[in-house]
Amino acid sequence: MSDVVVGISDLKVSSGEQDCLVTYALGSCIAVAVYDPVVKVGGLLHYMLPDSTLDAEKARQHPGMFADTGIPLLFKSCYKLGAEKKRMIVKIAGGARIMDDMNYFRIGQKNLTALRKIFWKNNVLIDAEDTGENFNRTVRLEVASGKFLVKGLGGTIKEL
Amino acid sequence: MLEKILRSIQRVPAFPMTIQKVTELLRDEDYSVQEVTQVIRYDQAITANILRTCNSAYFGVRSRIGTLNDAVMYLGKDNIIRAVQTSGVSRFYKKAAEGYVPRASDLWTHSVSVGLMSQILYKKIYQQEQPVLYTAALLHDVGKVILGEYVHKSFDEIMDLVGREGCSFLEAEEKLFGINHAIIGEKIAEQWNFPEEISSAIGSHHRPDLLADHAAVFPWLVYLADQISSMMGVGGGQDGLAYRAVSEVAERFDLRDKDIEVCMVQLFEDMEKARELMAIV
Repeated sequence: MSDVVVGISDLKVSSGEQDCLVTYALGSCIAVAVYDPVVKVGGLLHYMLPDSTLDAEKARQHPGMFADTGIPLLFKSCYKLGAEKKRMIVKIAGGARIMDDMNYFRIGQKNLTALRKIFWKNNVLIDAEDTGENFNRTVRLEVASGKFLVKGLGGTIKEL
Repeated sequence: MLEKILRSIQRVPAFPMTIQKVTELLRDEDYSVQEVTQVIRYDQAITANILRTCNSAYFGVRSRIGTLNDAVMYLGKDNIIRAVQTSGVSRFYKKAAEGYVPRASDLWTHSVSVGLMSQILYKKIYQQEQPVLYTAALLHDVGKVILGEYVHKSFDEIMDLVGREGCSFLEAEEKLFGINHAIIGEKIAEQWNFPEEISSAIGSHHRPDLLADHAAVFPWLVYLADQISSMMGVGGGQDGLAYRAVSEVAERFDLRDKDIEVCMVQLFEDMEKARELMAIV
């Protein structure tokens, strides 16, 4: 299997049986993994911030930076490879938070809220998620099988 | 174990004189390029790194720079200080801080990102750069290079304290080793005879609120830069975000969520340009 690395504010889609989409060290950022098991198309997004109105120019250059520009592009890019919305399996990970943050630094929570709003509006259900808490996560999506692995606290790996 | 850790601190090599001499020379507005290059020339590692660094997009130099003399002339004062500091400090991050991160390059990437973020924040608040703060930010996690092997050996116990007992990573270190990575870094800086503003910023970078001197600005900015960079996951390690939030920092500098988000976008951009700085280690 060959790793295809998805950086911060980036997204990759693939139908290559050998490919494994990987993204490292999600702090408060969120990884969205989508997969169509019929055509075996997978996509992985690693967005950093909730809302592209913060910087429209940056959103044009790096649509994967924001939830509201990255998520639609992730789905559309998969459709181009033959995926269909009704078959898509959606899993998410990340959105970690600093301990006892009460009234600032809530980027992780805001990232999650933005995602839930977008999914609610577009009638997309989340099949599995590993979010919140205060550790970094590294995730892998195997394109051949759709297997989604999350490495979390203490380096333990689990399948979502 | 504490004794052994303290002995490892004493074995940390001396801080390169070159960096201190250059910083000293550049304090004078009328510094001579020749004098500066004379000092740098004796340090081969720094010379090589400066040429690499100054050809990086971060410094925006258009034509390729081949000689040290040209580098010093082109870069100008602030940038030459930045380049000398970055290449001088990198040698202390060559050893992997296992237990925290899998590769030495991760901790270095994180350190450079905190250095860059410290300048983004300082510029936002005070409209200028601050090279002393940059050094403190670059060195904030140097204690992890010492503590890494202990963290690695006691990893399960640490994870137990953090995962089940709700300790911060820093508190877990204190419980198990009697010292934390921030204090180790402070002791290293003191050993190098660094000014107090640098050593205290390193020592308090997770708990600036516990510092007696509440007027000090550097510890708060290193703290904030570290937290923002960690949220972005840049070179992120096992400790992740398992540190206490000190909410006071937001009021102190009148920063809102939006400001933090803008700083994240700015860091993303600076990191793209600063790949060569990261590659130095």
